[in-house]
Amino acid sequence: MTTTLALVAELEQLGSEFDGVIAPLVDEQAIRAAQAQFLGKKGRVSEAMKALGKLPPADRPTVGAAANRVKDAITAAVDRKLGELVAAARAADLARTIDVTLPGRPHHSGHLHLLTQVRLEAQAIFAELGFAVAEGPQIETDWHTFEALAIPKDHPARDMQDTFYLSDEIVLRTHTSPVQIRTMQAQRPPIRIIAPGQVYRRDDDPTHSPMFTQIEGLCVDENISFADLKGTLVHFVSRFFGKSLAIRFRPSYFPFVEPGAEVDMACSFCEGRGCRVCKQTGWVEIGGSGMVDPDVFAHVDIDSERYTGFAFGMGLERMAMLRHGVNDIKYYYEGDLRFLGQF
Amino acid sequence: MKVVWSWLLELVDLDRQPTVEEGARALTAAGLEIEALTDLGAGFTGVVVAEVVAKRPHPEAAKLTLVDVITARGGAATQVVCGAPNVPEPGRKVLWAPPGATLPGGITLATKPVKGVPSPGMLCSETELAIGDDDDGIIVLAADDATPLGAPAQQALGVDDWLLEVNAPANRADLLGHLGVARELAALIGGRLVPPSIALDELTGDLDAAALAAIAIADPAGCPRYIARVIDGVTVGKSPRKFAQRLRAVGVRPLSNIVDVTNYVMFELGQPLHGFDWAHVAGARIEVRRATAGERMTTLDDQERALVPEDLLICDGARPVAIAGVMGGKDSEVSAATTRVLLEAASFDARSVRRTARRLGLHSEASHRFERQVDPALAELASARAASLIARLGGGRIARGSVDVYPRPTTVAPIAVRWERLRALSGTGMIDAIAIGACERLGFAVESTGPHTAQVTPPSARADILREVDVIEDVLRIVGYDQVPSTLPRLASAPRHTVDDRGDRARRALAGAGLAEAITFGFQAPTRAAALQLPADDRRARPIPLRNPMSLDQAVMRTALLPNLIAAIARNRSFGRADGALFEVGSVFLRKDAGTGEITELADEPIHATAVLTGLRPAWLGPARAWDFFDAKGLLETLVAALVGNAPLAFERATDIPYLHPGAAARLVGPDGAVWGEVGEVHPATREALGVDGPVFAFTLELARLPAAAIAQMRAIPKFPSASRDLSLLVGVDVPAGEVERVLRSAADALVEAIALREDYRDAKLPAGTKSMLFSITYRAGDRTLTDAEVAAAHEAIVARATADLGATRR
Ligand SMILES: [Zn+2]
Repeated sequence: MTTTLALVAELEQLGSEFDGVIAPLVDEQAIRAAQAQFLGKKGRVSEAMKALGKLPPADRPTVGAAANRVKDAITAAVDRKLGELVAAARAADLARTIDVTLPGRPHHSGHLHLLTQVRLEAQAIFAELGFAVAEGPQIETDWHTFEALAIPKDHPARDMQDTFYLSDEIVLRTHTSPVQIRTMQAQRPPIRIIAPGQVYRRDDDPTHSPMFTQIEGLCVDENISFADLKGTLVHFVSRFFGKSLAIRFRPSYFPFVEPGAEVDMACSFCEGRGCRVCKQTGWVEIGGSGMVDPDVFAHVDIDSERYTGFAFGMGLERMAMLRHGVNDIKYYYEGDLRFLGQF
Repeated sequence: MKVVWSWLLELVDLDRQPTVEEGARALTAAGLEIEALTDLGAGFTGVVVAEVVAKRPHPEAAKLTLVDVITARGGAATQVVCGAPNVPEPGRKVLWAPPGATLPGGITLATKPVKGVPSPGMLCSETELAIGDDDDGIIVLAADDATPLGAPAQQALGVDDWLLEVNAPANRADLLGHLGVARELAALIGGRLVPPSIALDELTGDLDAAALAAIAIADPAGCPRYIARVIDGVTVGKSPRKFAQRLRAVGVRPLSNIVDVTNYVMFELGQPLHGFDWAHVAGARIEVRRATAGERMTTLDDQERALVPEDLLICDGARPVAIAGVMGGKDSEVSAATTRVLLEAASFDARSVRRTARRLGLHSEASHRFERQVDPALAELASARAASLIARLGGGRIARGSVDVYPRPTTVAPIAVRWERLRALSGTGMIDAIAIGACERLGFAVESTGPHTAQVTPPSARADILREVDVIEDVLRIVGYDQVPSTLPRLASAPRHTVDDRGDRARRALAGAGLAEAITFGFQAPTRAAALQLPADDRRARPIPLRNPMSLDQAVMRTALLPNLIAAIARNRSFGRADGALFEVGSVFLRKDAGTGEITELADEPIHATAVLTGLRPAWLGPARAWDFFDAKGLLETLVAALVGNAPLAFERATDIPYLHPGAAARLVGPDGAVWGEVGEVHPATREALGVDGPVFAFTLELARLPAAAIAQMRAIPKFPSASRDLSLLVGVDVPAGEVERVLRSAADALVEAIALREDYRDAKLPAGTKSMLFSITYRAGDRTLTDAEVAAAHEAIVARATADLGATRR
C-alpha cells in the first residue's frame, strides 16, 4: 500500500532521475521529449499521481506540494539545459574563423569612358552657372558650320585640308559652333547653353585625332561682357582642376567672335615652371573664345545692339590629358580595355 | 611669318630699346603669337674676324696655302693652313676658327698638322658655317667691311641676330611683312614707324617708264592696281652677303640680286613683287586679263599649266607672262642676261588668287599674301623701295616715273565708335583717353565727335578694321586683355531646355551593370559596314561616303555601332584580353535617300546603345562562366528598366537579322508594339569578318524609340501578407517559356501579384516530348489577408487554363 511518504519519495526520485535523463542530451527536441515523458498528461509524474486518490485527504496537499516542486524542478532543469545548449552553440559559432585575406568577391562595376566622365563633370560645373546642354548633328551643312559663323567659302580660315566634306554643301562639323547657330535660330535671348560633341578634322598625330570632342559654350543676353567670359572660364578651370591655376587670355582671331581670345592655362604638370607638356612655356592652350561677332547675330536675326554674348570652345581630350596624364590622344578611341578599365 | 629682329628694329624708332625676349612677350600678349625664337648665330662659336697679313705656298702641297692672320691691329700673326683657291691678298678680312671654336655639326677645332705644317684651326667657308651654299672657297669679307678685327664672325655675317616666328592671324595681311609687325611693336612699346629708305634720285631724263611700258587692266575687280617701273642697265649677280643672309633667315634661297630684291621687299613690306626681263615682254606692253578657255603657259618651275577662264593673267603683247599673284612665267624670267627689268607691284583680288592657287596646287609666298588681300596703297611704296634697291644692288638706272593704273583708289572710311560701347562690351571702366591713346599708338586717326564718341580712321594697311567692334578689339588688344576684370554673368532665368539625357542615363546604367564604355570613330572602313551582311537596299548597307577621307579605314560613316565594338574585341584579344564586356552609346549615320553616292541632305543621326560580351564573365575563386545570350538579354532588360521603368517587354524570336545567329536572336518589342532593339549571338560570319573567332553576344537599343520616362509615382506598400504557391507543369518541349507564362498570366485574376519561372528542366526521365517548368505564383489582396480557400481557387483556375490551353499536366 502506497503511503504518503512513499509517494512523496517517489516524486522526488523522479525529479532526480530526470536530471540524469537530460544530462547527456544535446538537442532541444530530445530534451522536450524527455520533459514530456516526465511531465506530460501520461507522463511519469502524472502516473505517480494516480496514487493520490488512495491517500488520506489530509495528506493530499503535502503530496500536491511535492508534485509541484518536482514539476518546477524539471521545468527549471529543462530551461537550464536549453540555456546551456544555446550558450554552447553560440560559443561554437564564435569559434569559427575564415581567411580574411582571401580576395573580396568583386562587384564588377563597369567604367564610364574618361571623356564621358570629364564631359559630365564639365556639364555639371556649367549647370551651376545656369548653362543647359544643347546638341546638334555631326553631319552638318556648310552654312551652319561656316557661312553663318562668318567664314565664307573663300575665307583663308577655311581650308580643304582641315575639313571632311561629304558633298559641296555638307561636311562633318569641324567644331561644335554650329550648335550656337541652331540654338540661336530656335531660341531668343537670354541663352545660356553648353554643347558637347564629337567634331572632325583632317589631322592625325599624337596630339590630334581626326575625331575629337569639343565642348562649346554660348551666353547671350543684355549686358554680357568680355569680363563675364573671363570670369566664367576662370571659374570653370578652377573647379575642374581643383586648384587655382592662372588663366591667360591672348588676343586671337576666330571669324565668329570679336574680340577673340585664345585661352591659356598655367601648365598643370609643372604649375607654370616649364616642362615637356607645355613646351617649356609654362602655359597650355585650352581653347578659343570671344564675344559673338555682330555678323553672326545678323545671320540668326538677333539685334546686336541690344544683345551681346560670349562663346567659347574647349577640347575635352586636352582637358582630360592635362588632368589625368593621358599622353597619346589615340588611347581614347581604341576601345582598349587596358585603358578603359583605368578610369 | 618669319621676322628678323634687326630688320624689325630698322623700321621703328622706339621710345626704349626692348630685348628680343621683351619684344616677343609683348607681341604674343597682343595676339601675335611668337611660336619660336631662334638665335641665328647659334650654329658656331669662337669664330672671329681676322685680317690676312701674309700668304705663301705650302712647301709640300701645291693646292694649300699658308696664311698669316691677325685678330688685333699690331697683334702677333698666326699661321693657318688653308686649302681654298681664293685666299685673298693681305689687307682683306677672313673668318678664322681658332682651336676651341665650334662649328655646325658639333666639330671642335684643334691644332692639327696639314701635310707636315701645324694649322691652328682653319679659315671658314659658307658651307662650313652653314650660312650659305657657296663652297667654292673661304668667306672673304667685302673690302669696305667695317667689322672690327677679333669680332665674332656672327657680326660680320649678319647672324648676330634673332629670328621670330610669328603666327599671324588669318585676317591680318599687314603682318606678312616686317613693316606691319613693326607697327604693332611701336604701338606696344611706344614709338613710331620709320619707313624704309628710298633713293629714287637716280632718275634720268632719257628714260621714261610710261614710254617703256604700256599697262592695261581689263579686269579692274581682279586687279585694282598695277604699278610698273623700269630699271635699265642692271647687272644681274649675287646679292651682298648680309642682304642675302636676311632672305635665308626668313626661308628664301637667294638667287640673284634682282629676284632677291623683290623677295626682300615682299618680306619687308608685305607686298609681293615680280620682275620681268623687259626684253621678253613683247610689245613693251602689259595687259591684266582673265584667261581664255584652253590657254596654256609654262611657269617659272618649268611646269606647263592649263588655264581656265577664272584665272587672272599678266600678259604681254603676245601671250601670258605670269599667273597674277601666283607665279611668273618661264619665258620672261629675269636671267643672267637681263639688262632691263620691268618691276611689277600690283594688287590682286584675294578670292581670285586663292582659287587659282588652290586649283593649280601652287602655294607661293606671293599667293599666301595676296590670298589675304594686300593693301593697294602699299604697291607704291613697295615699287619705289624695290626700284631703289635694284638700282643700288644691280647698278641700274631707274626710268623716270612709274606707270600706275589705279582706276578706283581704295579709300578708308572713318568708323563711328562709342567709348561707352567699348566699356559695356569689355566689362571695363576704361576711360576715353586710354582708348584714344591706344588707337593713336596703332596709327588710327581719332576725331572726337561728341561726348564719348569719335570717328576712327585706321591706316589703309589695316583692312581688318571695318566696324566699331573691330576698333574695340584692337584697343583691348593693345591695352591688354589682362586689364579686363573677371566677373560672372548675371544669372538670368534662361528658358528651360528639355534635354534628352537618355544617352547619359544609358551610359550610367550599363557602366553600373559592369560594362566598360568605349568611344569609337564616327567613320570606319567600308568593310566594317559590309560585315553586317545586310541586303543592298537596307540603308545601313549604304553608308555615307566621305569625299576626302584620310584613309580607307575612315572612308564611310558608321551605320551601326556593332562593327566597331566587335573590332575592339578583336583588338583586345590580340593582346591577350579574351574576355570583355564593352558598350558604346553614340550616333549612327543613316542616309535619307535611296542612293549610295554623296548625300544631298543631312543624315538621320539616331543614338544607339550597343553592347558586346565575349569570353568569360568576371568571376571570384573557382571557374568562371562564359557570357551567354541570357546575360545579354538581362542586361538589355536592365538598361530598358533604367530608361523607362518596368515596362512590360516582349522578346520575339528573330531568324532574319543577318548579323545575328538565326537560332539565338530576338527583337525587343516595347509595350507600344514598336521594335526597340535586338539581342542575340553575333553571326559567326559577321564576327569572323571583323577578326573575332569566338562567340560574341550583343544587344542594341535604339534610344529614340523609347518613350520619355514618366515621373515615377509611388505605389502603396502592401498592408496584408502574400501567399505563395508553386506550380510544376509538364509542358510540350517546343512550347516557348514566354508562351507558357503568357497563358498563366491570362488566367490570373486580381489576386495574382507575380508569376515567376523558377525552373526550366529537361530530362530523359520525363515523359517523351515534355519538359518540366516550375513557377512560383504570389497571391495577395490589398484589403485583407487571403484565406487558403481563396488562394486555392485562384491557383486552380490557373492550372485549369494551363491544362486547357497548353495541354500541360500538373506534376
Ligand atoms: Zn608644363
